[in-house]
This record gives sequence, C-alpha cells and structure tokens, in this order.
Amino acid sequence: MKRTVILAALVFAAAGASASAPVAQIQAMLAKPEQLCGRFDQVKRLAGMKKPLASSGRFCVVAGKGVLWRTLKPFPNTLRLKRDEIVHLQGERVAMRLEASQEPTVRMINGVLFSLLAGDLGQLDSLFEVDGSVKGDSWQVALKARNAALARAVGAISLEGGAYVRTIQMVEESGDRTEIVFSDIKTGPGAVLPEEAAQF
Amino acid sequence: MLQRRLALAWAFVVCLLIGHNAWLWLGQRIAPDTDILALLPIEKRDPVLQQSFTHMVDSAQQRVVVLVGAAEWDAAGRAADAYRAVLAPHDGLLVFDAMGDDTQAGWLASLQPHATLLVGGAQERQLRDEPARFWADAALARLYNAFSGPKLGAFRDDPFGLFAGWAQERAGETPVRPRDGRLFVAGEGREYVLLTYTLKQSAFSLGAQDAVVPLLEQAGAAARGAAPNAEVITAGVVLHAAAAGRQASREIHTIGVGSLVGIVLLTWLTFRSLRPIGLTLLAIGVGFLGALSVCWLLFGQIHLLTLVFGASLIGVAQDYGIYFLCHRLRADHGLDSPALLRRLLPGLGLTLLAAVIGYLGLALTPFPGLRHMAVFSALGLVFAWLTVVCWFPGLISGNTLKAGWLAQRYRGVVWRWPRLTRKPASIGVVLVLAAAAIGGWSQLTTNDDIRSLQSSPPALIQDQIKLSKLLDAPSPVQYFLVRGESGEQVLQREEALKRRLDPLIAQQHIAGYQALSNWVPSARVQAERLALVEDKLLRADGPLALLAAEIDEDPQWVGASAAHLRAQARAMLIDDFLRSAAAEPWRRLWLGAVDDGAGATYASIVALRGLQYASLPVLARAADGVDGVQWVDKVAGISAVLGSYRATMGWVVLAAYAVVFAVLLPRYRGRTWRVLAPTAAASVLTVALLGFSGQQLQLFHVLALMLLLGVGVDYGIFMQEPSEGDDAPWLAVGLSAASTILSFGLLALSGTPALQAFGLTMLAGAALVWLFAPCFSVTKEPIHATPD
Repeated sequence: MKRTVILAALVFAAAGASASAPVAQIQAMLAKPEQLCGRFDQVKRLAGMKKPLASSGRFCVVAGKGVLWRTLKPFPNTLRLKRDEIVHLQGERVAMRLEASQEPTVRMINGVLFSLLAGDLGQLDSLFEVDGSVKGDSWQVALKARNAALARAVGAISLEGGAYVRTIQMVEESGDRTEIVFSDIKTGPGAVLPEEAAQF
Repeated sequence: MLQRRLALAWAFVVCLLIGHNAWLWLGQRIAPDTDILALLPIEKRDPVLQQSFTHMVDSAQQRVVVLVGAAEWDAAGRAADAYRAVLAPHDGLLVFDAMGDDTQAGWLASLQPHATLLVGGAQERQLRDEPARFWADAALARLYNAFSGPKLGAFRDDPFGLFAGWAQERAGETPVRPRDGRLFVAGEGREYVLLTYTLKQSAFSLGAQDAVVPLLEQAGAAARGAAPNAEVITAGVVLHAAAAGRQASREIHTIGVGSLVGIVLLTWLTFRSLRPIGLTLLAIGVGFLGALSVCWLLFGQIHLLTLVFGASLIGVAQDYGIYFLCHRLRADHGLDSPALLRRLLPGLGLTLLAAVIGYLGLALTPFPGLRHMAVFSALGLVFAWLTVVCWFPGLISGNTLKAGWLAQRYRGVVWRWPRLTRKPASIGVVLVLAAAAIGGWSQLTTNDDIRSLQSSPPALIQDQIKLSKLLDAPSPVQYFLVRGESGEQVLQREEALKRRLDPLIAQQHIAGYQALSNWVPSARVQAERLALVEDKLLRADGPLALLAAEIDEDPQWVGASAAHLRAQARAMLIDDFLRSAAAEPWRRLWLGAVDDGAGATYASIVALRGLQYASLPVLARAADGVDGVQWVDKVAGISAVLGSYRATMGWVVLAAYAVVFAVLLPRYRGRTWRVLAPTAAASVLTVALLGFSGQQLQLFHVLALMLLLGVGVDYGIFMQEPSEGDDAPWLAVGLSAASTILSFGLLALSGTPALQAFGLTMLAGAALVWLFAPCFSVTKEPIHATPD
C-alpha cells in the first residue's frame, strides 16, 4: 500500500501534475513528450541523522513503456517500472521484484503512471487535492492526499516547474525529508541512452 | 345414533382446525422455514467445535458478497455506485459493510511499538543466514533510493525493511486492496469493486429471500446500466436458500397438482361419480389442516420440506377412503353404511396403526426436520382416518356409487393373477427373482456425501467459484482447530502447525493460511526473534556500524539507532491486538476461552486459502502428532453423520417389520407373513433395482423403505381382510397403489436429490407391492360374482 503511494509520487516527479483551475493552466504549460530523460540530484534529511545524504543519477520516462530511475552515485542502484512489474536492482542483483499477479496494486500504480503520461489526470485528482499557482513561465503545485492512509504514507508533496518538473519536495510525517532537483532534460528520439533502452 | 354423534363431534373438531389455520396463515402470516440444515442433527458433542462453527459459518451465512467489475477501474466504480444506490434505501434489510478510512490509516500505526518483533518468514531465514554486509547494503539501498520499496514510518524506524516486509507478507494474505475509498480486486483482465452486505434477517427466512433476491437483481441491472460491459458476480447463502425455496415451492405445486389430477381421473373412471372425489379430497384436506395445526402447536414452526413431504401424504391418506368406497361399491345395497363400516373397522384400524408405526420410525432419527415430517405425516393420517370413519358412512349410502369402466375391466384381472404355490413354475420364478435380488444387491454401493444432495443452480455455483477464486477467501468449512490451556499455548501450537503447513504451500496443496499467530507471535517466538535481531543487527560491531562508516555517522548514532529499534520491541499481547483496528478481519479466528464443561479451554482457528479438494486427505493428516490441533472438515463430518444414520435406519426398518408383525399377529395368526411378504419382497427387489441402475444407496433411499413398509402393509391387510369373495380389496389396492405411484413418481422427478432418491424408491417399491399383493392372497376362486 505504502509502495503505491511512493510510486505515485514518482509519477508526479516525472510528469508533473495538475487538476483544478490554475492547474489547467499548468497542464497547458507542460510539454508532454513521448520520451523524456534527465539528471536528478537528491538530498535526503532523515530523522536522527546529522548529515544530509546526497545521491544523483539519471531517470527516463517513456510513454507506453515505463519508468527507469538509475541512481549512479554513491553506488549504482536501479528501479524499473513496467506495466505489470516493479523491479529493484542493486548493482546487477535483483533485490526486489513485485509482480501484478502477486501484488494487485502494481498494475494500479502503473496505470496511474501511464494515464498521467497520456495527459489523463483524472486519476490523480481522485487521490489528491491539487492546489497550484502560476507566476510567469513557472508554476508551483502542492498535493494533499485525500485520505488519511495516503497522507501518512507520503506526507506533503510540492512540485515546481515550467515546461517540465524542476524540483520535487516530500516532507513525511515521520520527519524524513527528500528533495529532488531535475536538470539536463532531453526529449525526443536521442534522449534515451542505448543502455537505458535495453532496460525497457 | 352413535354415528350421528360422532359425525357432529368431528364437525366441531374440523371447525376448530379451519379456524386455527385461518388464524395462522391470515392472522399470524406464518411462513415455512427453508433452512436445509434443519434436516441435520444438532451437534452437541463438543462445545469448542460448535463454537468454531459459529465463528466460521454463521457470519459467512449472513453475508452477501458482490463483485462489480469492468475493464476500466472508473467504469467499475460507476457501476458499483449504481449498484449501491439501488440498495441504499433498503438498509433495514441489507446493511453495507463500509470500509473505515481511519481504520486503514491506523492499522499499521498500532503495531509500530512492536515493529522490531515483526519479521516475515523469508526475512527471518535471511536473518539467520546472511552476513552483516548484506544487511548494511540493504539499508544503504533504502537510504539513497527515493522510491526504493515499501517504507513504513521514518527510515530509522525500519532501516532494514523488515517490518515493511512483514506488512507486505500480511497484505499478501488477501488480494483485496483499498483504492479510492473502495475495495479493489483484479483478475481475468478486469478490475472489480468489492461490496459486502450483511443480511439483517436470517438468510433462511422466506421473507428475506423474497425481498432480497429481486433487489439484488435490480441492483445488478442498474450496475450494467451505468457501465454497459459491467460484470456483476454475487454470492451468498441467501441466494442458494432462495433457489432451493423456489424449487421446493414449484415442486409442491407439481407434485400436489399431479397427484390430485391422478386421483380425480382414477376415481371418476372407477366410481362414475364426483362424490368420491369430493370425499377423498375432504379426508385429505382435513388430514393436512390437522397435521399443520398440531405440528405448529408442538414445534412452533414448520419446515418447507415437511410440507413437500406432506404433499406425499395424499398418496397414503386416500387409502382409508378408497378402502371404504370400494367396499361400498361392491357390497349389497341393502347393507347400510354404518354397518358396513363396523365390518371394515378392524382392517381399517390396523392399516392406520401400521402406517403410523411406519411414519414414526422416521421420528427415531436425530434429524429435527425428519421428526417434524414423521409427526406431520402420522397426524395427517390420523385426521384423514377419523374423517373417513366419522363422516363417510353418513355421506355415502348403498346406491350412491356405480361401477365405472375401470372397475369393470380391472376386477377380472385378479382372478387370473398368479399365486405363490408349491408348483415348480412358481418356485422357479421365486428362484429367478431371488437370484436377481442377489445380483442387484451385490452391485450396490453407498454414497453419503452431503454434496451429492446439493442442487443449487449451476449459474449460482459458477458465480460462487469465480468469486472465491478472485477473493482467494479461506474455506469456511475446512480448517484447523487449535486448543490449549492458555492463549500462549494456543499460539505456540499454531506455530508448530504452521511449520507443518509451510511444505504444503510449497507443494501447492494450499495457497496459504490465516492465523492469529501470523500477527501476534507467541511470547516464546517473540523472545527468540528479539534475540536473533539483537545478535544479527543490533550488535555494536554489526550492520549498523558498517552502515555508519558508509554514511559518515559516529558510534553515537549507532548506539542511538539500536536503542530506537529496541524501544520498538514492546512485547505483544493477544488481547491488546484483538482490541486494535488492525485485528478487525482476524477476530473471528480467535475463539478465546471456551467453557468445554471441564473448565475453560483456549482455542483458535487456522484457516486455509486456495484449498485443493484433492488435497483434503493430505491436510487431514498434516497435523498428526501436533498436540491440541484438530482437523475440522464439516462437509466430511455431515457426510459421516448421514452415513451412520443410513446404517442405523436400516436396522430401524428391520425392527419396524418385527413390530408390525407383532401388531398384526393376534388378528392374522398363521397368515401374518402373507401381509408383510409383498412389502418385504418389493423392498428387497427395489434395492436390487437401485443396485442395477447404478444408484448409490444413501439415507433417503432407506427412509423411503421405511415409508414403503407403512404403505405396503395397507395393501397386505386389504388383501387378507375377509371380503366374502368379492374384489373390493383388489380394487382398493389398485386405486391406492396407482395414486401412490402417481404422487411419488412425481417426487422422483424432483430436482432435489434427496427427494428424488426417496421418490424413485417409492415408485419402484409401491409398483412392486401392487404386483406382489395378490400373489400372497389365499382368496379362493370366486363363484363368478357379478356386481349388482
């Protein structure tokens, strides 16, 4: 259950979100490419730890195929989402594989993801209250989970962006905070690297 | 004069009956009970076992489970809303079991103080086998990856993902997930919304069935209207009960009407008068009303199957009227009716006595439903008999009746009928029949499986199968019952049982099990686990230290993290857990303290998912040698009860022959065997026929043999009573047997397997008694008596 929620947040990060009045405007501002790749820099501040944890890597979102989230530093670690499965690779080793046949929420999460990529944001609206504002060519969105279980799981999410999502911030009820910044965003046929294409 | 007074007194009784019945049906609006289980004996042996049935079966019985599915989740949601909207105004009848949103949010929170103790099976094995490096890497991966896997609470609450893994394992016990405020299940390319309702009235009350079934159909139509391709799958005991009820009602009509039409035709062709028809109906009607009144006064309820069985009463209750009427037809017109009755009274009295003994044999069974049937039938016969004796002489005089076409044709037959003699041909026939009987009996097999008595419509069963496959729900009738002297002992025994069951999951005999100890480990396992976690994860030089080196934290952090995890290892108590919201779906598995007569015993249920029917024998042996664990298979249990009563009833039938023989002996002396022989021979050959036709002998065949004795003895008595050379007894036997065959022949067409077995036996048996009855008569060749 929790997993679904975290994945849903990823969906936001990758594609940007939208729903109500200014949200329609934000949706119009977002480019909706067939494939999109880029660099991410993540900083986590965890309860009970003095130092922040920094990591970075590459991510790709390909319509109709799935999402690839490759942490490259400090050590390689890959998360791959396809229609019917979620696979977590630690180096070459499969650390975790979750299939729709055993965990029914897998397809539901991935369904949310794919409908997002297709520009169908109706499903997100059923999970979150979306509150957005637009200033010039950039926008900002705050997401509030509609039910208590989801709220406990993801906490508060806020997004910033223009044509693409630029940053995502998650503040969990437990006190753990995550901030992700996206850069070097590329779209079109050359965006996905050959080794990444092989993963899909 | 006496006859007149009797008739008046009886008229008074009949008026009372009519009044009471009118009050019952119109004033009280009574409805017959349709609970098929009322046919089964009440289990008194084991209070703990009984309690487990209550927990598992009773709640399941009141539930209506609905899956509304479509290719798209949105469409399924729309259809489900339309479905609910139809049922919403009827919450006095069906209550929607809403899913608490707060429950969802809170269920894991309540377990957080115990999180360190909760480790899934696979990870517990890894804890034993994997080195510290493995766990440090696992924690690192969780630390850096934004979306690396299930995460409950903050990182430091569950750095190694053990609690998350445990929660995932628990979630795997059911495929149902909350989604957008609904319950969601997926399967066969569709997404389903799960709706569950609880019935306010008993699933077996006719009123509830009449109201609920059309409502559910209406709701299903609304769902399909809201989303054209929506699929609605419904299951619930109430649907099966309603289908059984509808079938029984239909059969009351066909059997009752068919039987009446048969009697009317026969009577007309025999007596060429409508008055015997009216009189026969009168006797039967009074019998039926009387039986119903007294049964209601005695038991306070009446079972629908009792009424169905009662419909067959028509076949027997008519015998008395027919016997009198046939003699009236053949007797001298000058002889007045009361005098004729006095002459017939000994024979009539004996037929009643024998039939009542026959029916009351049913009352010896421990099945409450059958006792009702026995009392109902015996009372019906007494009332019908009294009607004949009190009223018929006054209503029929010497020249009311004329022999009809059938009576004239039929009478000659009896004189040419073969008699049992010592001639070689006769002995040859007997030997051939005896050989056939032996052949048939040797082919006979028995089958007491309760499922062979089930007759739900195929569509209902298909829905049921599909639904239980999608929901992967545990079987409510096959499970393990675990007992102990304390809650802790029960949990320990559950854990011992689960160690036996794990290999069976691997061998695909079952998909999994549900047990309270999955949630609350025994105190012993909690202590062992804490020691394991302490040894493998929390040691000063363990994975936490390795992790600290990687992320540049100091030894102080290591100490603080270990302390934080130790603080989440508060001992878990079963009672605390049961009070929490997380326990909601599992409470029914815990019976707690049950008084079993010798003090309190603690008990729980371990339920099985994905049970394979073929695996039942393996499971039955799975717990051998585990103390306090009992395999419970209610289906097999009921079947065993049916089987033992089949055997017992066999002896009851034999005993009844002996009793009837004793009753008849003072009157018939050396000829007594001739009264019983046709019925006995017919019974033996009927069972042989069942053997030849491949029918498997079960309780209801044997019960029919009991009834056959009651009916067959009538015919035997008719044939043996002094009849002064006329053919009235033969005519009476023919008419009665033909009507009995008609009514029971229709019972053989019943869709209810139990009634069908009963009907087939009666059909063959009654026909054979009819054929055999004259063979044993000693009536001399008549001096060509002709009717006047």
